[in-house]
Amino acid sequence: MTSGLSYSTALKIAWRESRSSASRFLFVILAVAIGTGSLTGVRGFSRSFRSMLLKDARTLMAADLSVRVFELPTDPQLAAFQKWESQGLERTWITETVSMLSGANVAVPQLIAVKAINPAQYPFYGAVTTVSGMSLTDTLAGDGVGVSDDLLTRTGLQLGAVVRVGSQDFHIRAVLAQEPDRMSGSINVGPRVMMSRENLEKTGLTQLGSRASQRHLFRIPAVKADAMIQLVRDDLKIAFPDAVIADYRETHPLITRGLNNATTFLSLVSLIALVVGALGVAMAMQSHLQTKLDSIAIIKALGGRSSHILRIYLSQTLVLALAGGAIGLVIGIFVQFLFPILISKFFPVTPVMDFDWFSILEGLGLALLSTLLFTLPTLLGIRQIRPIVILRRDMEGEPPPAGQRWKQWRASAGAGLFILVGMIGMATVLIDASWKDAFKVSAWFVGGLAVALLLLSGLSWVLLRGLRLLLRAPGRKVPAALRHGLANLYRPGNHAEAVLVALGVGVMFTLTVYLLQNSLLGQIAASAPPGMPNVFLINITDRDRLAVKSFLDKGPGVEGDVIVSATASGRIKLIDGRPIEDIAKEGPVKRYLRARSLTWNAELPKQTEVVQGAWWKTWSPDRPEIAVIAETARLLGLKIGSVIDWELAGRRIPMRVVAIYRNEAVGPGSGTEFITSPETLRQVPMLYFGAARVRPTLIAELQKQSFAKFPAITVINLADVLERVQEVIDQVALVVRSISAFSILAGMIILASSVAGSRVRRVREVVILKTLGATRRRIARTFTVEFFLLGAVAGLMGSLLASAFANLLLTRLLDAKFVFSPWPNLFAVVASALIAVVAGWLASFRILGQKPLEILRNE
Amino acid sequence: MATTEALPDSPAIRVRGLTKSITTPSHRVDILRGLDFDVPRGQFIAIMGPSGSGKSTLLGLLAGLDNPTAGSILLDGEEIVGLSEDSLALLRGRKLGFVFQSYQLIPTLTAEENVLLPAELSGATGNPERRAKELLDSVGLAERRDHYPVQLSGGEQQRVALARAFMLAPPILMADEPTGNLDSTNGQHVLELLLTMNRQEKTTLVLVTHDTQLAARADRRLILRDGVIVTDELGSTHD
Repeated sequence: MTSGLSYSTALKIAWRESRSSASRFLFVILAVAIGTGSLTGVRGFSRSFRSMLLKDARTLMAADLSVRVFELPTDPQLAAFQKWESQGLERTWITETVSMLSGANVAVPQLIAVKAINPAQYPFYGAVTTVSGMSLTDTLAGDGVGVSDDLLTRTGLQLGAVVRVGSQDFHIRAVLAQEPDRMSGSINVGPRVMMSRENLEKTGLTQLGSRASQRHLFRIPAVKADAMIQLVRDDLKIAFPDAVIADYRETHPLITRGLNNATTFLSLVSLIALVVGALGVAMAMQSHLQTKLDSIAIIKALGGRSSHILRIYLSQTLVLALAGGAIGLVIGIFVQFLFPILISKFFPVTPVMDFDWFSILEGLGLALLSTLLFTLPTLLGIRQIRPIVILRRDMEGEPPPAGQRWKQWRASAGAGLFILVGMIGMATVLIDASWKDAFKVSAWFVGGLAVALLLLSGLSWVLLRGLRLLLRAPGRKVPAALRHGLANLYRPGNHAEAVLVALGVGVMFTLTVYLLQNSLLGQIAASAPPGMPNVFLINITDRDRLAVKSFLDKGPGVEGDVIVSATASGRIKLIDGRPIEDIAKEGPVKRYLRARSLTWNAELPKQTEVVQGAWWKTWSPDRPEIAVIAETARLLGLKIGSVIDWELAGRRIPMRVVAIYRNEAVGPGSGTEFITSPETLRQVPMLYFGAARVRPTLIAELQKQSFAKFPAITVINLADVLERVQEVIDQVALVVRSISAFSILAGMIILASSVAGSRVRRVREVVILKTLGATRRRIARTFTVEFFLLGAVAGLMGSLLASAFANLLLTRLLDAKFVFSPWPNLFAVVASALIAVVAGWLASFRILGQKPLEILRNE
Repeated sequence: MATTEALPDSPAIRVRGLTKSITTPSHRVDILRGLDFDVPRGQFIAIMGPSGSGKSTLLGLLAGLDNPTAGSILLDGEEIVGLSEDSLALLRGRKLGFVFQSYQLIPTLTAEENVLLPAELSGATGNPERRAKELLDSVGLAERRDHYPVQLSGGEQQRVALARAFMLAPPILMADEPTGNLDSTNGQHVLELLLTMNRQEKTTLVLVTHDTQLAARADRRLILRDGVIVTDELGSTHD
């Protein structure tokens, strides 16, 4: 026999103790399961979505390789295409743009997402299907277009109706049912209208100056695909440095980026639920150890060492975490099913459930690790249990000598640090980024969470003490049920503070998401206050710009100034002779490696102040000059006299910096980083956009008149965009709230666990109260008050901190304004109180039925 | 860990200047004030005194369950003051047996498993299962070895505790009011068993009790009052 308690005996004791504390541990298991379920659900869905993206990459792209740009190809770029086409590659060209649709039976012109394709080639993979079964070629033949069903719903039009897009009339031939590359497309602001490329040319929407996304899809002969794909890709990357290039060997980069970000964010939200669950395990284990003091002391008295006893409770913790993790995996499957429903509006996909070994191990591993981390201080506390308590219970509370106290403090600090490091490690694993970036984000996340938990803990202490003082104030008549309910919060082993923290963190997070969502939407709505533009015109050509300006000046309902601005897109190549790649190496300055927008202006724009140099008074095409906003000048190290060498539409134009300015205005064009003198961009194709403030009741009229005069120009009503933005934000917030609700659920379970943990004490109280003549109703009232107070205080703390965090995030990170709104906070307090009452009673309803004699006889 | 082999001529227990005080935020309580005494090997000593006199504290200190404020305790010739928690645990497993007033069985282990526990903790070799069976048989519980404590009466639980205390044939046995929770018939039964087993195993027995009749059967009585020994008298031998 080996020295010390064998693992088999430790497991035996652990198992038998767990059986006798089944109800308490059931809640513990559920608390772990909730966090694990949320986490494995999110990550499982993400993985299955990713594997679907990879498996169906060709179909989702409708090609082997796709090149997406916002400009028409230049001659060298066309040459690059032709080179590969001559080697047997097929290419088809897709244009996507926004435009307006009108017609005799359309009351207000509709914003639509136009997609022009060649039905003889597109799609290379997958198929476009229509509801009626009509082929794509037949649908788009002649003046036919295919539309998405929401266009018919919005306009009330029927199949066969005549509609006008740009300067061309079309017949709606079919309703599109499926479009393989819908997710890879770039413009999803309105109902889809699909037409042939020839018809797009007829609309006049593609004149120079219109904003459209161009996708060039390639099919590589099957036998050559694997050998050629990288060569083609590398070659095209040189020809199209700003393009998004994707091929069938990978998931689509844009979708993948979105998916990675969403997965990381939701994984961290789930981690909060897991942490709350782990806190619950620690709390339950602490209560459990309190009831096992005698057993621990006996084993110590019989010669058992702390490490022997640790085996018992470590095995117990591991088994609980594993059981919770296993149930969590089952919950995870449900979450995976829930996701496609939550995001169905934007991604009409049903990924195949993916439950591989990795997901299982990851879920179980995280459940085990989080539980162990948070239980560690409690388990280490076993060392402090003194065997003398079996002889003298009063020695339990005796403070240890100073030297030992210092050791204990050091051990607690060490355990705290260990928890923080472990949490950062777990969060780092969950973040989809480079190790360095993931570590940085994790450290911030864990730091924030730790601060939130500390704040909640401090706040709960203050609130509980405050409540007690208030009720104990002399001369205050407080109803007995309230007095007793409050006193119950201080019942030994009740862990009121821990319960408040657990429930509070869930409320805090869910409410923060809601407040952010509300404030952002409010902010967007408020960004068009009286005087600010609320109608935007895009796709204005150079030819039309003056006519558009004069139309807008006299347009129906137009108030105040009308803006028609020009922008061009270009890339910085050199600054004072140094390549940009040497200057923009790390941090925010890296964005200058990509294409940037420039505009020109003869005069200093309104609310703009020159901080260095001077604005031009004269200009000449031989003297290209540029003004730069102060922040950009700082990032790029630009001074007056610096020369920026631009590449604009295939031309190199070196421009001398003559002014550095600061802009205090808010609105379209106010953030422009680069403004040139009027002649500098003369040879460069420009995009124009207009903006005006229009009385909301007359916007429809303006849209009608504009459509009649300039059918190719798209008039965007800010209110419509806001509606769309609101839809997106609402959808995102719904997903986040659904996941963050898991932490509320975990908090609820912890409350139930705490109530179940104090069952013996509650039973005694009930029995004594009954013996003294209390009715069931009266006792029920007291318990209800206790649960209600717990929930309300947790809700109050959660909502206070949620407001504080929302304020911090909005003002510091999102540059938005925070307005305190009492109603969501009040709702959080009441809802949290009701949740607590339900959870409390679910865990204790049988207590009321106890017969006093049964209990007293056993005393 | 440094251990000292028992010296045949040294007493089983030697106590010098033993002091225990508790400091609370408001005041300091002196529970034991500089006790000095020896307990020769094989002696049955009863420690008596009114409530609060320091009996249980003394027993706890002798067993190394707590640290004294000052003084020295030699068990079987080995100084136990200042030993680490784990060294104390090992020493208890090797040299001490315990019987408590409220039995203190592990509720999740059966009677036999409880008896076997000291053997397992100390890593005893040989055939501990056989010894456990014999001990349970000697306390009349052979048929109930698979029962859990909750399924046993108070008297039966205390008999299991007795079997457990003798499992490793410790040189010293500490008993704290072993009959305090039992009715007179069961109390008498347990006491007879304790004394018989003590006689058979030739252990030194330190017994804390209020019961003067029980104390009368001890070789020696130590009476404490307010943390000091007020009486140290020899009495008739219990056999």
